[in-house]
Amino acid sequence: MNALEINKVTKNFGDFCAVRDLSFNIPKGSVYGLLGPNGAGKTTTIRMVMNIIIPDKGTINVLGRNMDEEMKKRIGYLPEDRGLYPKMKIGELLLFFSELKGLKRAEARSRIDHWLERFDLADWKLKKAEELSKGMQQKVQFIATVIHQPELIILDEPFAGLDPVNTKLLKDFMLEMKDKGVTIIFSTHRMEQVEMICDNICLINKGEKVLEGNLNRIKKEYGKNTIVLDYEGEAKYIKDFAGIENIDDYGRFMEVKLKEGEDSQDLLQYLTGKIRINKFEVKEPTLNAIFIEKVGERNEKNSGGN
Amino acid sequence: MRKILAVIKREYLQIVKTKGFIIGTILGPVLMSLFLIVPILMSVVSVAEQENIGVIDVSGKLFAELDKKMEQKLKDGSRRYLLEEYRVTGDISQLKEALNEKVLAKELSAYLFLPTDISEGGEVEYISENVSDFDKTNNIRTALNSIIIGKRLKAEGLDPTKVGQLMSRVHLSTKKVSKRGVEEDTGGTFIISYFLVLVLYMTLIFYGQAIMRGVIEEKSSRVVEIVLSSIRPFQLMAGKIIGIGAVGLTQYTIWGLFGIGFTTYGGALIADVFPAAASFKIPSIPAYIFIYFVVFFILGYFLFSTLFAAIGSMVNTEKEAQQFMTPVIMMLVIPLLLILFIMRSPNSSISVILSMIPFFTPTLMLLRVCILFPPFIQVGGSIVLMALTTLLMIWLTAKIYRVGLLMYGKRPRIREIIKWMRYK
Repeated sequence: MNALEINKVTKNFGDFCAVRDLSFNIPKGSVYGLLGPNGAGKTTTIRMVMNIIIPDKGTINVLGRNMDEEMKKRIGYLPEDRGLYPKMKIGELLLFFSELKGLKRAEARSRIDHWLERFDLADWKLKKAEELSKGMQQKVQFIATVIHQPELIILDEPFAGLDPVNTKLLKDFMLEMKDKGVTIIFSTHRMEQVEMICDNICLINKGEKVLEGNLNRIKKEYGKNTIVLDYEGEAKYIKDFAGIENIDDYGRFMEVKLKEGEDSQDLLQYLTGKIRINKFEVKEPTLNAIFIEKVGERNEKNSGGN
Repeated sequence: MRKILAVIKREYLQIVKTKGFIIGTILGPVLMSLFLIVPILMSVVSVAEQENIGVIDVSGKLFAELDKKMEQKLKDGSRRYLLEEYRVTGDISQLKEALNEKVLAKELSAYLFLPTDISEGGEVEYISENVSDFDKTNNIRTALNSIIIGKRLKAEGLDPTKVGQLMSRVHLSTKKVSKRGVEEDTGGTFIISYFLVLVLYMTLIFYGQAIMRGVIEEKSSRVVEIVLSSIRPFQLMAGKIIGIGAVGLTQYTIWGLFGIGFTTYGGALIADVFPAAASFKIPSIPAYIFIYFVVFFILGYFLFSTLFAAIGSMVNTEKEAQQFMTPVIMMLVIPLLLILFIMRSPNSSISVILSMIPFFTPTLMLLRVCILFPPFIQVGGSIVLMALTTLLMIWLTAKIYRVGLLMYGKRPRIREIIKWMRYK
């Protein structure tokens, strides 16, 4: 069963098309990464899922039902632009968010105490939000997202602006939710986090879907023709090799994608004696390489068309 | 509905708990009653002391009469003014010089120079260190006038008492006739109407801006999208407007109770403590005017608060809001400029038309209700018209608000805002 089904959704803002004919499904209990460069339409998609903006075309099903206001109670949402009422005390603020989600006051109070305790914020309950450090405010925002025990959690760029301590806290927190069977969707453009956490991904660019599916399967489809190279010397020799489709060069480290049917051993032989090779590894491509390739490809096609 | 209630409660408590609100609500009536009471007290508590006034009566015929007329008494029954006559024996300017010295030495508080030709228009001189004691100069002027006029009349063979009776002024007493009968009115209607219209104007601006600031705060603190993950933008706007409106009604209720208490017991209290001020009448507001006041406040509040909410959603800072606010504030200020015109001719066709314009109705129709109750069809019509306009504005501004809330960055242009309204 799917926690979220998006069918042929389109959203225009005036002449600008933010999302075009987008469809994807998210299996229940999975951790799903919504990827794309800045301005790809991730936030617009998420806001449509949350019923904050209404699609021009298409349908959105959440937890087996058409998305409507009632469903908001069963979803926890951490927006990319997030903050707290600066003049409200933390306890009152969380109580207000709980009431908006339809929680009874008594129940909300005990849950608030539990979460504040767990995140080491119990002493701050009576302090105003503006008196808290940024990291503490972020923790309060996490609590607000899950206080009503949602079945689906949507996190828009959750790691943006987090320090390493809170990054780890959030990551552990997400895995804990996953173990409880909660479906998690999160959007990001930081690929290494996606590779570590996600089961499934959807890559969108300029409002359109570029790639979707199980992360392991996608990587396998991209085949074993990616080589990671740790080298010393001049990189131009590598670029001269005819069988290369794509290079992502970092100076001392390089990710090379070979064309279909090329043998990695030919490259190794070609390079021997030209540069010093410390490591030569044949592996699946990183998500980053796939991302850059896919997004780059699209953008070139588009600019060519214009 | 429970969600809107949560928003209403939050907005209400956020303002009611602030020091500004508590101070404003309590201090308002206290200041108001001080403004009423202090002048009364000042007029009752007299600081007068006995004074010596020198008189140079060149003719020598006026002093006795003047001394008789200047018989004002102090509280302890002694004379307030002790007049001393200085006869002209030698040089007048030398005598004046001597009296100047006495004034400076505080032996005399003032002296008068009465020339011989007063009856023919000669000027009386009043010389003192302090020439702004209008009470004293007034007493002197009245006394001299009555003496001199009496002398002139006698010279013509007329009886001053008789002439006084014949010259007595006509009294014009203004009475207001309405369905409830005839009542005496000594300018109370004017003061009350003006006062109510000003209070309405100030509260509409005050609470409108409170809403706008609230919306801007939600945007700038980036809390708004978290809230929207639970409720619709329209519910948020409605909750905010109702919550802050409830603050306004709370404030009015407190002021109203205070007002009722003051008009009921205040007069008696003042009379009790200061018997001399017993004649003072506190103007009271008839109940039907207060009801219309609340009706027009509620209607005006909804009309203007939606506009202020929409402005708040369009901008990122209060400074940016200034430009959009100007036309809205103008719609509140223009009626104030028309107050005197409407008061003079409350039923002229221009007044009727102006008071039917929905944005002017709260102030101008209230004013007309206070002065001269208009035909009910006009009052009812203006209320219906306002209600319809308000619904239209809510529909329009909700569209702007919904989009504006999530728009950060550059302040939008009018063309973009019109585009927002077309979004699904």
